Parts: sequence; C-alpha cells; structure tokens
Amino acid sequence: MLEKFKSDTPLDQRQDIVICNQLNKWFGSLHVLKDVSLNVKQGEVVVILGPSGSGKSTFIRTVNGLEEIQKGSITVDGIPLSNDIADIESIRKETGMVFQSFNLFPHMTILKNITLAPIWVRKWPKAKAEKVAMELLERVGIPEQAHKYPGQLSGGQQQRVAIARALAMQPKIMLFDEPTSALDPEMIKEVLDVIKTLAGSGITMLVVTHEMNFAREVADRIVLFDFGEIIEIGTPNELFDNPKHERTKLFLSQIL
Amino acid sequence: MDKNKLLTKKPQKSPYHPSTGTLDWLKKNLFSSWLNTILTFVFATIITFIGIGSVKWIFLTANWHVISANFRLLIVGQYPIAELWRVWICLTLVSFLIGLSWGLWKGTMGHLTIAVTSMYFIVGCLPFILMETRIWLLINIAVIGATYAVGKKWSKLKKSTLIGWFLMFPITIFLLNGFGVLNHVGSNLWGGFLLTLLIAIVAIVFSFPIGLLLALGRRSKLPIVRWFSIGYIELIRGVPLITILFVAQLMLPLFLGNGIDIDNVFRAMVGFTLFTAAYLAENIRGGLQSIPRGQFEAAEALGLNTTIKMTFIILPQALRAVIPAMVGSFIGIFKDTSLVAIVGLTDLLGMGKNIISNPEFLGTQMEVFIFVALVFLIFCNLMSYASRRIEQSLGVGKR
Repeated sequence: MLEKFKSDTPLDQRQDIVICNQLNKWFGSLHVLKDVSLNVKQGEVVVILGPSGSGKSTFIRTVNGLEEIQKGSITVDGIPLSNDIADIESIRKETGMVFQSFNLFPHMTILKNITLAPIWVRKWPKAKAEKVAMELLERVGIPEQAHKYPGQLSGGQQQRVAIARALAMQPKIMLFDEPTSALDPEMIKEVLDVIKTLAGSGITMLVVTHEMNFAREVADRIVLFDFGEIIEIGTPNELFDNPKHERTKLFLSQIL
Repeated sequence: MDKNKLLTKKPQKSPYHPSTGTLDWLKKNLFSSWLNTILTFVFATIITFIGIGSVKWIFLTANWHVISANFRLLIVGQYPIAELWRVWICLTLVSFLIGLSWGLWKGTMGHLTIAVTSMYFIVGCLPFILMETRIWLLINIAVIGATYAVGKKWSKLKKSTLIGWFLMFPITIFLLNGFGVLNHVGSNLWGGFLLTLLIAIVAIVFSFPIGLLLALGRRSKLPIVRWFSIGYIELIRGVPLITILFVAQLMLPLFLGNGIDIDNVFRAMVGFTLFTAAYLAENIRGGLQSIPRGQFEAAEALGLNTTIKMTFIILPQALRAVIPAMVGSFIGIFKDTSLVAIVGLTDLLGMGKNIISNPEFLGTQMEVFIFVALVFLIFCNLMSYASRRIEQSLGVGKR
C-alpha cells in the first residue's frame, strides 16, 4: 500500500498509484485491448476519451478486476492484481466505481445503500457509518433524500447517491464509467459539478466520458482511445489545441 | 395577484362519474344488449338448478353422520385417545405463538390469526364435538387473546418469538412421539389431517434451505458443486413424486440393510423434502437470473465478498421476485401429501378412504371427499392469501 502524499508535491514527483503494463484482452476473437500501458500518479485526474466501442470502458473496468485481462499486469496502490480473490477484494476496497446506469440497490434506502459496504467491509460501527453517509449526502447536495428508495429519486440524484456510496469507503481511487451518459441533459450539470469538486480534493480519478468541456476543465492528462489502443496522451491543452496524431484530429473534428 | 391566479389553476373535476346504483350496475354488466340478456338468463337458469341441487343434497340427502362419527379419525388418525392431550398442547403452543406474532407484527398476521380463531370457533360450535374438545378450543382462543395483548405491549419479544417458531418443530415432534420420556406413540399411529400438516410443514421448512443451496450451487464456478447440483435437480425433476416415495419407503431399507430401521413417516418426509427442494431450486435460480448484472458489479466494486453480496444484495431481490412461484410450489406440495396414502400412510385423504371402505358407512364417499376438499381448500387459500400479503408488504421501494 502506498503512503499518503503531501498535497504540495508536484504531480511528476508523486508515486504511481495505478500501473498498467501491456494489457491485452479478447472477447472471443475480438481483440478489445491492445498493449495498453498507462501509469497514473497519486491524486492525478485522468480523463479517457474515444469513440464508442474503442475499449475505454473495458479498460477502466479492468483496473478493479470487473473485467479479466488475458495478458499484461496491473498494480493498484502497490497491490498486484491477480486471480486471487483476496487481492482483488483489497484493491476494490481502495477503488470506488460509479457506473453509467447508477446500479443502486433498489430494495434499500439511500442511507442503507451508502452504509452497507463501510459496515460490512470496513467494519465500522453503524453510527459512524451513518454519520459519514450523511456528511457525504450533504456534500452531494441531497441530505433530505436519505430515507427514500432509489426508485423515488431522479436520475441525477441517483447518480449523486452512487458517487456518495463509492466515496463512503474512503477510496484512494475513483473510477467513473460514463457517469452522465444515461442522464437527461438538465441533470448532467449537477453530477459533473459534484465530480469537479472531487477532482480538487486529492483523490485519484479515472474518468471515461463524452463531455469535452468537462474533460478540458478537470483533467490533468487526457488519454485518447481508439480500436482498443491508446492513440495519444497529453495535457488538455496539448491534446485539444495541438493534436499530434491523425486519428486524434479526426476524433476531435467529429466531436467539437 | 393576477399572476398567482394564473399559476394556481383550480383542479378540474374528472368528467368520469362511475354509476353506483345496483340497477345501473345490472343494466351495464348483465343486460347491455339483447344477446347479453339471453346469456344472462341461460346462465342464471343453469346456476339456479345447480344451486338448488347442491342445497338439497347438502341439507337433505347427505349423510353427514359419517363426518361427525369419524371426526377425530379424520383430524388426528389413530392417535391414542389417552394421549390426545399432547396434540392439544402442541396446538396451544402454536396458538400462543400466533397470538404473540399478531400483537408484534399486526397486519397480515392479524388476518391469519382471525382466520385461525374463527376456525377454532366454528369447530367448537359443531354439534357433535366432545365437551373436552370444546374446552381445549376455548383455552386456545383465550391464549390467542391473552398473548395478543402481551405482544402488543412488549415489542421487544420479536426475536424470542421467531426463535419460538423455530423451536416449535422439534417440540412438536418430541411431544407427539414421546421419545421414552412420555409414552411412545409410533408414527404409524399418526394420521389424518395431523399427518398431512406435519409432512407439508417439514417439507416446506427444510426444502427451502436445501433448494437455496442447490440454486446457488447450480450457478457456482466450482465444477463439482455445479455438476452435483445440476445432476440432483435434473434427476429429481425427471422422476415422478410417487416413484420417489416408493424409493424412500421400499428401497431405502433395502439399501441400508436390516439393522437400521427408519420410521415410515420420517421416510415420507425425507422424500417430500428432497422432491420439493429440486423444484424450489429452479424457482430460486429463475429469480437469481432476473437480477441485472449491474447489481452484481456494483456490489463487487464496493469490495463486498460473495457471502455479503448474496445475503444483502442479490437474494433479497431474487427471492422477492419468486414468492408467487415458491408459494405455488408449497401449495402443490401441501396437496401432494395426499399421495402418501399410496405407500400405506393414512393422511387426511387416506383416512377418508379407509372410512368409506368401512361397511358401516357404505355409500358416503361424496360426503367424505367433500369434507376433505373443504379442508384443503381452506388451508391452500390461507397460504395463497399470506403470499399475496407478503408480496405487497415487500413491494416497498420497488424499482
């Protein structure tokens, strides 16, 4: 496990918290990840862009072991990802994940959704878990919904609960898999605002998204995926204003 | 002010006014066209004839003496009269728990308690009942009332009441059998509705955990566990229940040798439990498959291990989805207990058949079968009513 970094350390002097080396994955005969290598520093915000079907979601899901890789190696927070379920579970304790389709537990209240994992995995007493949960709900702006069920909330509210649920485990890394793609346009902003405030808090983030302005605003680095490969990595300015690769130019011209 | 007026439009009355009068209803539903009018008359005539016939038969022709003379046999079989108090104690304990649960949980429990109490009352009012029975029934009703008051007052008793329900089963078996402490009453003497109820309850209670494990086993990643579960489920589902009962009754002693003598009733209970478990497993597996993959992934991403994921996330949703199917299986097994008559046990139906073949009661099969059907009808309906209520109460926060 890595030691906590000092917030005034410059990004390039921090340690790598996610190390992906030559990842390869096949779905049957379809080669979905081709020699993907990416290192992420502690506290860095990496946004992953790319056309749909380019393997960016698959990539982010390999980081916490939701997708198996066939070749390559992943190290998260100093723990090498193996087939051993104990390793996978200790990595998952340190990584929170937010899904495109929220995936809240529909049979539990919002508060129970958030406190379940801290109580059973972190072994916190119930009172502490509920206190932390209420603080998080306050932070994402919906403390008054704590005793409702997910089905009674709007999409944007549900996604904010999902973020709070992931944060309740106090993870070092947050993975966002297209967090706004299933939302109505007027709700996208409220979710992005929550993610933006997180980006300044020192937590390491990997975000798959289609929101270009958001990417430009929060990212320390942007990674562009196409056909299962990393095409280009760079700061937002480098990538948006001065793209080097042909396919980056093509992608940006289609989007912007 | 004008603006406010514009914003708060008065809610308009719905233009639909349902007619409430009986005449209106008749006109709308029975006599809306000449074809419907004819159909109404035809069916009214048929129903009247059937109704008159039934009433005549029930009140004039039928010889209900066969039921009143054999009431004890039908309910408890040949359980010795001197030892009947043990059955009464069991029933009183059940009444105790029912009353307590009513006070603690109210709602559905209340409806079921009222049903049970009125059953006690109706049986107690039957003209041919012994005085002793009446007293016992009165005690039971009093116990329900008293424990209801207790349960209403002390809501802390919930846990002990649940434990009480779980202990009820071994206590019942102990009291009925005696096991040396009390006079031994062999299970060959247990019969009638008592036997039906015992076999059904054992099968339902024990098949549930086995079925749950089989359902999980069939989805397991471990090949041996998976193949065992598939093999078991397909084997049991591929064989008729009767065959399983025969195997349990006739083959088991052969396999186990002469030294080990297993009780007849116990063998039937095992047969029913194993049979129901296979069907339940498939029901539960259906529920598990209805849970979207995102729920599994969300639980895993939070770092929950398999046990916690299943207990808190997957199974509550899966089981809720299959309550109707599971209760369907339970009702099925309750009625299928009448098959034990074939392997020589005298359950309610078996006892009925024995009574019919008694020369003293020749030609009374109609009366006996109608009585048996009525008992099954009441209990099956209670079960399906309970299932509907449980479904409703678990429907909170449905996605």
